[in-house]
Order: sequence, then C-alpha cells, then structure tokens
Amino acid sequence: MTQTPEFKGTHLFDRLCWAKENLEGVQSDYRVVYEDDVDGCAKVLVPDPHFCAAFLQGGILPPVWVYWELADDEAKPDFKRHTRGYLLHETQPIEAGTMEQCIEYLIMKDLPRHIWQTWDSGNKPKMVICHKDQLPSTREWRNAWRISDELNLAA
Amino acid sequence: MAGKIIADTLEHSTAGSLSTEYVVNGSAKAWFHFNMLAATIQDSLNASSITDSATGTFLMNLSSALSSSEYATLSASGDNATHNASADTNEPRSSSQYSHNHWENNASYDIANASNSALGDLA
Repeated sequence: MTQTPEFKGTHLFDRLCWAKENLEGVQSDYRVVYEDDVDGCAKVLVPDPHFCAAFLQGGILPPVWVYWELADDEAKPDFKRHTRGYLLHETQPIEAGTMEQCIEYLIMKDLPRHIWQTWDSGNKPKMVICHKDQLPSTREWRNAWRISDELNLAA
Repeated sequence: MAGKIIADTLEHSTAGSLSTEYVVNGSAKAWFHFNMLAATIQDSLNASSITDSATGTFLMNLSSALSSSEYATLSASGDNATHNASADTNEPRSSSQYSHNHWENNASYDIANASNSALGDLA
C-alpha cells in the first residue's frame, strides 16, 4: 500500500496533487439526496473519486471543522479574503476512514449546514443517503425529483 | 516533499525568461470533467464533490478553497451538444463552490461532456 508522506504543514493543494498522482480514484456508489428549497427539486451530491481515495488513504485531508471555520469567516459581512487559510494546511490531517465516513464528511462539508443539522425535523426528511441505483434511471423528469415519504425518490 | 524546486525565474536559452509568479498565479487551481447525464465525475483536480441541482445545473465543490469568492471560472461543453445556440455559464457561489450551467436554446440542458476550471489565489 502506498505510504502517505508526513503532510502536516504542507499546503492542502500540494497534498491533493500528490493524491491524484499516487492514488487510484475510487468511484463511490453512494449519493446524498437533499432538499433545501420547498419549491425546488431534490439535489444530489456526487462524491469525487480522487477525494474518496484521499479520504480512504488517510493523512491528507483536514478535519471537517476547518471548513466550518472558513465558512463562518466568509459569512461575516466584512469578509474580503480568507486570512485563516493556514487552518487547511497546518491542522493535523485526519486518519484513514471508511467510505461511509467519507460520505458523512462530505455531507458536513458540502451540504448547507441547516440541512444536515436538522435533516430529520419537520414533516419529512430533508436528506437521504442512498445508492446510485436507487435514483430514477432516466433524467426525463429531473426537475420534478423529490424525496418521497418512503425515503425513495419519486418523480 | 521530494523533488522540490525553489525558483523565482524560469529562463529559456533563446526565448527569454518568465517569473514563476506567472506559473503560480496563472495556472488553474481546480478543474472538473463530468457527465451531466450520468451525474458522474470522470476526472478532476481539487474537487470534493459535485451537486446535481437540476437539469443542466450543477455545483462544483472544492477541497482546497480559494482566497475569496472573486475568482475566474471557465467552462466548456463537448461536441455532443445537439442544438444550436448552446452556452455554458459559471458563477462563484463561495470560495469553495461555483456553479456550471449548460444551456441550449435558452433552456437548461444535460450533456455528457462538461468541463470547467477555476483560476485564482488559493486560501
């Protein structure tokens, strides 16, 4: 198995370049379906193969709370440029995890926070983790996709 | 990391010299090649995921954020586009997310070969 170099202090972009060059991409079968607009259709998060490979390898990606810190900075009204980008590069990278943990990480990184923090409150779930083959096989009615009561997608 | 070269200038024997700032600042910091119809990522750099938001409407999510939400994006569609008057548009949503919409005849449209890139300063 490829050994991950000691990456703490190395710019995250350089770590990702190393991962792309040295690790085989891993296509995940998981998809995360969520609704963040009552009038809009369901959205589907698709994991990136190189990101999944880096997560499974360990020692490359920062802990997810780093992204929350940067998002909080960016949400401030006087935000111009990131001044705490060092958190991405100098925080101890996370250890290797499973594909399921990778999906949890991506949910907390790339989905709106109010979705995953309150996914099961309200009249019906706002978020579902499913397998790719559970999605409709055709995109003909893509803009009508919703999360159904049975946690399956229905047009 | 092994193989590290520290240099401020690249010099060619006859063509002149170039500051490495041009290389660092001018190269793409992220790119995606993806299939809207299958909603899959074929290849990428500095990506964490894409979000399939609707027909022809996707979000690109980055691993290593840019320094602000004011950066440049470029996009293209493959030659499988089936109609005239097609266009691809991008818009930064944050320092780590931008959209890619594909349009044909003024309507959002899914295509098999979509690609884009982001240029700017990394955080």
